[in-house]
Amino acid sequence: MSASHCGLYRCLLAAAVAAGLAASAHAADGTVTLGIVTAQTGPLAAPGKFQMNGFQLAVDAINKVGGAKIAGKSYEVKLKVYDTRCNAAEGASAMQRLATIDKTPVVLGELCSPVAAAEAPIASDFDMPLIITVPTAPNLTEQGNPYFFRINAENNQLTKALAEYVAARNLSPLAFIAWNNDAGRGGVNGMRAELPKSITPGYVGYFNVGEVDFSSHVANIRNSGAKAVMLLMDEEPGALAIKQIRDAGLNVDLIGTLAMGSNRFLDRLNAKYLSGMAQYNAFPPNLPTPRIKAFNDAYKARFGEESHGFAAQSYDAVNVALEAMAKAGTVTDGKKIRDALAGLSTEGVIGAIKFDAKNQASPPVYITQWCDNGTRSVVFPEAYRADCGGG
Amino acid sequence: MLTALIEQVINGTMIGAIYVLVALGMVLIFGVMQVLNLAHGVLFMLGGYLCHFAFFKLTGSYPASIALAMLVLAVLAMALERAVFRPLRDSMQMQIVASLGLILVLQNSVVAIWGPNALQMRIPTAEAIVRLGPLSFTQQHVIIIGAVAATVTLLYLFLTRSRLGTAMRATSQNADAARVVGIDTNRIFLLTFAIAGALAALGGALLGPLFLIFPQMGDLPLLKALTAIVLGGMGSVPGAVIGGLAIGIVESVSTLFIPTDFRDTVVFGLLILTLLIRPWGLFGVRVRGEA
Repeated sequence: MSASHCGLYRCLLAAAVAAGLAASAHAADGTVTLGIVTAQTGPLAAPGKFQMNGFQLAVDAINKVGGAKIAGKSYEVKLKVYDTRCNAAEGASAMQRLATIDKTPVVLGELCSPVAAAEAPIASDFDMPLIITVPTAPNLTEQGNPYFFRINAENNQLTKALAEYVAARNLSPLAFIAWNNDAGRGGVNGMRAELPKSITPGYVGYFNVGEVDFSSHVANIRNSGAKAVMLLMDEEPGALAIKQIRDAGLNVDLIGTLAMGSNRFLDRLNAKYLSGMAQYNAFPPNLPTPRIKAFNDAYKARFGEESHGFAAQSYDAVNVALEAMAKAGTVTDGKKIRDALAGLSTEGVIGAIKFDAKNQASPPVYITQWCDNGTRSVVFPEAYRADCGGG
Repeated sequence: MLTALIEQVINGTMIGAIYVLVALGMVLIFGVMQVLNLAHGVLFMLGGYLCHFAFFKLTGSYPASIALAMLVLAVLAMALERAVFRPLRDSMQMQIVASLGLILVLQNSVVAIWGPNALQMRIPTAEAIVRLGPLSFTQQHVIIIGAVAATVTLLYLFLTRSRLGTAMRATSQNADAARVVGIDTNRIFLLTFAIAGALAALGGALLGPLFLIFPQMGDLPLLKALTAIVLGGMGSVPGAVIGGLAIGIVESVSTLFIPTDFRDTVVFGLLILTLLIRPWGLFGVRVRGEA
């Protein structure tokens, strides 16, 4: 961890102390503005809010202890936010503005993979590193773009953990219901590639965005004799699919995505529907480890709700960007900041952060499972195993 | 396989019943006034929202909320007839353009009032389960099929046994002749829109608790209902009923044999086939000049 920067989750503890003081420890010598691209309106406004909360929490924590220390000076951290609404054209336009008008040294965020793909070339054109914190399409970090970094786990990393879980429990035949788009089809292909041959696909069904009737899939799953169903979709269709599967009396194990491992998701259904369901998770907010507990407490105090993986990943991105600037000794030279990012190794609230040759980080991936009482346990990896209430 | 087939026939009947409600409203308007109201799917969606609002904010009773939604939509549909469709009565193209505009206005109004996120409407009948051997369905499935069967019967009795229904049929056959014998056709047009609006509201209010209530929830039922009335015959009430049910069952059963994402391909393939082979539909009347 860099000595010139308060660094990641420890900032939270420092901020908690500083919050009690009337003023910051000392005035900042200047301002550094980070560019933010995310969805703040439209259908994906809700996950965009988690992302924004993470950025804001990090910035507030840093500013409360006197700002970021870079090259012997302290800088107040500000954010320049653009709402891309999960639209590729809006994303590209926002990146262009950040590069040419706002001239931010680093850009963070993005929620949607296709939008991140549209933004990436602009990052490279203007030597302005882009650190994405949520999109999971694996090919994003396969383009050889030296200015494009991803802090969160991508689909293959996430499904690898789930494939191990499925194989260990011999959940064969395994059925899939997935979005009829690159995320859903890519997820099914990625999962099938990771699974051993002993796990056979019972049924694979795709649905279009906006479809709410899963009865055809339910009948096909019943017909296939599947032992488990994997749901590769978002919160809203996920809740509907689970309700329809359970209402139809299908006795199958349910396996979901990280969108299905939060209290918000529980509110959409109830513990009876979710009991026993497993899902991959990038950030179990109740895990009793100091880094996660400190973040979750600070998040709850600020926003009045359980923290979210998107927020944690975004929180870490702010700190990683500032730590790279501190290491590079500049708040303006994008090339030097990029080089510093590429060689960075640090500890975030999501775990160890170090970018590989493709600028992809490898944070821990967890599998959580819903308990009868509406809490979650952690069942994978063994090192982080936790009982009900710890997931 | 037999179990899956039975399950899909029941699911298809349920969703087909919803298509019937939407198709009936459209077919009444088209039959009586020769108006193709493409905004009918938005009225269906509004029915879901109004029922949700009435249930959680006003009554707490599902049947009363449905009745209230039907009443409000009947009044709104009459207002649309009077303010939008009547002035454009002489031009079907203008009516279609106006109805497309109405879709945007009403959908965006809903987003402005209730927000873009889908609403849930948990009522006991959408949670309670009915068992049928190895199969199980929610009570709401049974309620939808029963409510639509009762509505179709009542509508049939109204159209064939009441004076107003007879006047409506007379207007649909020849509006000028109906006026000559003293029928107030403007009143009949208003009544037709009111019934169609109430039927759309009933559809949205019945389906909303089973799935979700969201601004685009009427888009697919509208397309399926259009297919149903082409299949059954433009302007034919029995055609709309048979067409709606047939489409619901065909699309559900087809997913046992082809990938589910091709379900709509089957339905719209059926539409194209009908237009090519029998463009006047199963129950429609062939008119001079038609292939």
